[in-house]
Amino acid sequence: MERRSFLKGFGAAAACAMALPHVSSAAEEKKSGGPNEMNFETAVAAITGGKALVASAKVKMEAPEIAENGAVVPVKVSVESPMNAKDYVKAIHILASKNGNVRCANIYLTPANGEAFFGTRVKLGGTQDVVAIAEMSDGSFLTAKQNVKVTIGGCG
Amino acid sequence: MKTLIKIKPKDYKAGDVVKIDFMAMHPMETGMRKNKDTGALIPAEYIDEVKFMFNDTLITKMVIWESLSVNPLMSISFKVPGAGTLKVIAKDNKGQSVESTTQITPKG
Repeated sequence: MERRSFLKGFGAAAACAMALPHVSSAAEEKKSGGPNEMNFETAVAAITGGKALVASAKVKMEAPEIAENGAVVPVKVSVESPMNAKDYVKAIHILASKNGNVRCANIYLTPANGEAFFGTRVKLGGTQDVVAIAEMSDGSFLTAKQNVKVTIGGCG
Repeated sequence: MKTLIKIKPKDYKAGDVVKIDFMAMHPMETGMRKNKDTGALIPAEYIDEVKFMFNDTLITKMVIWESLSVNPLMSISFKVPGAGTLKVIAKDNKGQSVESTTQITPKG
């Protein structure tokens, strides 16, 4: 009797172990995907063309440290710059490092903006870094990031 | 697609830097959500390009993706050069496009 129940239990455990990898891969499949799926490294490489990113205090990002609702996370980015014809911020890129498609927005600015600023609300699938990349008119790339803890995910 | 343009602050002079808030009523579907009844994927539908023009000169162009929230808000700065027309053109990935305008009238 004991042997039988042991075998039964073992069999169930083995079935569980076999089923587990399947379950986890299904969960991964659900996480990834989306029509414009792109990971962080690819997206950064596409923006910078292989140039180095420099973390800079000139780029200021305002985002909450804890977001209760991942569906609406306010993000504001401003970049210190005189914004004249010779020295201005060409573009601000906002990336959510762990979303299926990490790209959120590319903003192409001109000196007519007066200040390099962009504010929006993004969806975050989970706790992750929100990254801003500023493309300067001299061809350099400055960056800043903020970790946002998400209590309820914003996708699905 | 309903849209709304707000200039902040309301009173400004030529040469001031103001904030332009642009809001569009749009579902911003990611293409990853499923219909709860049928289980079918809801196709992606999101605004992918927004252009801000002042007197037909491009000020700011945005390329955006589905990661922006439902009814997205986009806010930029603008140094008011004088009176004129501000036009915002938003286009989504299904080709739907909307043009909205507002008058820039600096005081003093």
